[in-house]
Amino acid sequence: MTSQDPVTPARHVREMLLGSDAVAHGVRLCRPAVVSAYPITPQTHIIETLSEMVDRGELPAEFIKVESEMSAIAACLGAVSAGVRAFTATSSQGLAMMHEILHWVAGARLPLVMVNANRALGAPWNIWADQSDSLSQRDTGWLQLYGETAQEALDGVIIAYRVTEALRVPVMVMLDGFIGSHTMEPLFIPDPGLVDDYLPPYTPVDYLDPDNPLTLCAATAPDSFYELKKGHARAMERAFDVLDKTFAEFGDRFGRRYAAVETAGTDDAEILVLSTGALTGTVRVALDRLRRQGVPAGLLKLRLVRPFPRWQLRHLLTGRRRVIVLNRAVSYGAGGILTQELRAACCGMADAPAIHDVIVSLGGKEVYPETIEEIVVRADELSPDESVWRP
Amino acid sequence: METLQFDDLIAPADIREYPVSLTTTEANLTGSWKFSRPRQAKKTAPCRDACPLGVDIADWLHLLVRGERDAALHRLRAVNPLPASTGRVCPQFCRRACTRRDHDAAVRSGALERYIGDYGLGVPFPVPASATGWSVAVIGSGPAGLAAAASLAAAGVAVTVYEREAAPGGMLRCGIPAYRLPKEILAREIDNLVISLGIQLCCNVPVDDRMLAELLGEHAFVLAAPGLGGSPLPAGIGAGPGVYRGLELLRRLAAGEVLPGDRFAVIGGGNAAIDAARSLVRHGRQATIIYRRGIEEMPAYPEERREALEEGVEIRLGTIVAAARGVDGGRVELDLHEALRAADGTVSTGSFSDRLTVDGLVAAIGQKASWQPESHKRLLTAGDFHHGPASVAEALAGGRRAALEMLRRRGMAREPAVGPAEIAANPAALAVLAPQPGVDPPRVPHRERRNSFREVCGPLSAEEALQEAARCLRCGTCTACGLCWFFCPDQAVVIDQRGVEPVVRFDYDHCKGCGLCAASCPRGVIDMEEDS
Ligand SMILES: Cc1cc2nc3c(=O)[nH]c(=O)nc-3n(C[C@H](O)[C@H](O)[C@H](O)COP(=O)(O)OP(=O)(O)OC[C@H]3O[C@@H](n4cnc5c(N)ncnc54)[C@H](O)[C@@H]3O)c2cc1C
Ligand code: SF4
Ligand code: SF4
Ligand code: SF4
Repeated sequence: MTSQDPVTPARHVREMLLGSDAVAHGVRLCRPAVVSAYPITPQTHIIETLSEMVDRGELPAEFIKVESEMSAIAACLGAVSAGVRAFTATSSQGLAMMHEILHWVAGARLPLVMVNANRALGAPWNIWADQSDSLSQRDTGWLQLYGETAQEALDGVIIAYRVTEALRVPVMVMLDGFIGSHTMEPLFIPDPGLVDDYLPPYTPVDYLDPDNPLTLCAATAPDSFYELKKGHARAMERAFDVLDKTFAEFGDRFGRRYAAVETAGTDDAEILVLSTGALTGTVRVALDRLRRQGVPAGLLKLRLVRPFPRWQLRHLLTGRRRVIVLNRAVSYGAGGILTQELRAACCGMADAPAIHDVIVSLGGKEVYPETIEEIVVRADELSPDESVWRP
Repeated sequence: METLQFDDLIAPADIREYPVSLTTTEANLTGSWKFSRPRQAKKTAPCRDACPLGVDIADWLHLLVRGERDAALHRLRAVNPLPASTGRVCPQFCRRACTRRDHDAAVRSGALERYIGDYGLGVPFPVPASATGWSVAVIGSGPAGLAAAASLAAAGVAVTVYEREAAPGGMLRCGIPAYRLPKEILAREIDNLVISLGIQLCCNVPVDDRMLAELLGEHAFVLAAPGLGGSPLPAGIGAGPGVYRGLELLRRLAAGEVLPGDRFAVIGGGNAAIDAARSLVRHGRQATIIYRRGIEEMPAYPEERREALEEGVEIRLGTIVAAARGVDGGRVELDLHEALRAADGTVSTGSFSDRLTVDGLVAAIGQKASWQPESHKRLLTAGDFHHGPASVAEALAGGRRAALEMLRRRGMAREPAVGPAEIAANPAALAVLAPQPGVDPPRVPHRERRNSFREVCGPLSAEEALQEAARCLRCGTCTACGLCWFFCPDQAVVIDQRGVEPVVRFDYDHCKGCGLCAASCPRGVIDMEEDS
């Protein structure tokens, strides 16, 4: 586990909480001035808890009720344009509905944090864990952070505010629907003072202010447009560094160390399994069993999907025989989305390992440790040119 | 990241990494794009426009809300001298026009008028202006006569009111029953008016042509406000035992007289018909109203209609009493016919439909003038006598108008108090305001209303009155509420609160003429006009 017990005696409260409540606590500690969201399963608990916190005065924020996700993100866009910290949460169709404004927030380079509880997109109707929602938004210009546990979601929110305010790139923090959002977990809820030190009050630059009228996002001629987009791309490049430093400082202060790609048992492994989100827990169990059976396979846990940590991954893949990518989202006609990402990252790499595309689960299809074990054991039989779908 | 250099096109210093203007955009005079420009102007509230008296409701309610109850009372009574009465019986033309009507509930101006009027029963009118040395005689102490007397007396004119009956009030006393306007309230309100303004009131004096000539000799002007007389009997119905005229019946019932019989039919659809039926019910009688047209066409106020039905009055619509005969035992037999309606809306008698035997038949079908004095240039007329049967507020307005005309003719020109010509209304803008429906004053449950002339509608408490008054938006007057400022996307609205009343100014250099300020002002004081 990377969510270790604190190495330094950080001040915190330890509690058994639902994943969604964990997120709400993370948000509360970051003191946003505006929260706007629209309920959607399995995210609803997050904003319900937040609205109660606002009601009880524990979170002195403006809670803007809206009639759709489109309006929720638009209200947040307005809030961050006016120079305050804002938060929204959504899932699935809700995120899809926000699509247009996701581009706008990112293009405007406004700092915003949202939590997306990963859930399948219809049709057919399905409310379970699946990454099609967030991965189909990967080109909107947001930074995307995935988490294995509720603790990672809680901490991820705090880290996300630091990153977004430093880079002016909005951050989407992912948590698996139900598996992450609706199960209980013992959690460290950091002391508010500690978070305040780590994340000082937001000081906006260039925001809407009647006393100093500015235009945000005015019509832009082609050359300037191109330059602005170049700037956005540069910011994404800087994100690796900013994120590393932010993770490191978080580790020092709170005792939980994170990285864009986390590993386990990779030192001696010829085979690696790449996983994201809560599925990683299952993979850990499977890999432990395999190791006991004498099959040394290692884990690559991908936390950052945008920007895609290609150099770090190339480094980790050097000298391996094969890597099995576990996907919970498909780009129909092109295979698992994370596989494509990894293949693109390895393009031109000398001695690249064979990359196996496995569509391990969609719409919450159960994945057991045996499922993973079987895939790893039978990897030799699998052609790296074909997507592997389970029976 | 590799990057091609475009330095020859854009210097890196000229652009930030994110899309924001580098300096204030105030220099950009976006106002030059506009085709229309906003303009703010004080206007007349729709309620004031609808009130026959032109009462500036927003104005006196605002004084009340500010805690200036006496000032509010005097401001109102300067225009309407009988608020305790109108607050009870006026159909509230104002309320029907209220901007809040479809949003939550129209401001209960009648209940508020009653509240301040009741308070005013013990508060004298302001001391009249110094004597002018001339005098006026008023014939009739109904609302028209009293309103004229009040306006004249306040201006220092010596006024004598002649009333045929033993007590003043006209239809307020003889027509409108006590369950709507208690006699004691009316008496106190008129006493206070007459005494504190020094009006001479002579009751039991019917003025005839001879006396009128004398009055014209003695006074600068005479005002004839004798109202209208009783109702005629409809065709096919002759006088006889068990046949009553509406006003006569009301008067006898109000005096406590017990009429024989249980079952009564009332012909008519106006207030007099409804009041007669409701008064009969209060004497333990059964009452059926027979009306020629449909319920919506009844001239009686809807509220009254509803209350009558609650109290058990039966209403037969589209029915004509074609004939009535006295039968054994002093009863009256009625031939009921269907009312036939022509394309032009006129109604004629159709075929026989039913026969009804009642103990009493009441005809309440309109009033006629009982006296026609010869015209004279110093004889003015007002009230129902002048314009036909109307309402208390219209009679008050007519009396006041006549008084102002007299003052004008004597060189004491006073412009009648009217507001600006433009009416302010923008109910659509209320969508952003949280509904606040307020509370209705209490009512006696209908079962308890039978057998009692106790007042049906109760008062608002002082606290409720203040809350209700605070619901008034003050249409037509800027209150610096800031909604226009909030909605202006160009920060071009500036609310200036330095003066007595707030004024909105516009930064025309940046106003793009979108009109959102005008659309968002719930008080309707902003208009868009063409920009040259
Ligand atoms: C039954 C009934 C119910 C009504 N209900 C309502 C209601 O709820 N709300 C509303 O707004 N309106 C109502 N009205 C209408 C309203 O009462 C009248 O429109 C109003 O009273 C007219 O006022 P006025 O001063 O012109 O005449 P009146 O009120 O009729 O007053 C005229 C006065 O002049 C006196 N008079 C007449 N001739 C002479 C004379 N020769 N010498 C001396 N004095 C004389 C009369 O005795 C009377 O007191 C109702 C009318 C009736 C009949
Ligand atoms: S007199 Fe009637 S219409 Fe005028 S303000 Fe009073 S209640 Fe309203
Ligand atoms: S809100 Fe007030 S001013 Fe406006 S119409 Fe109603 S009573 Fe009159
Ligand atoms: S919206 Fe409010 S501040 Fe603006 S003009 Fe109307 S009343 Fe005045």
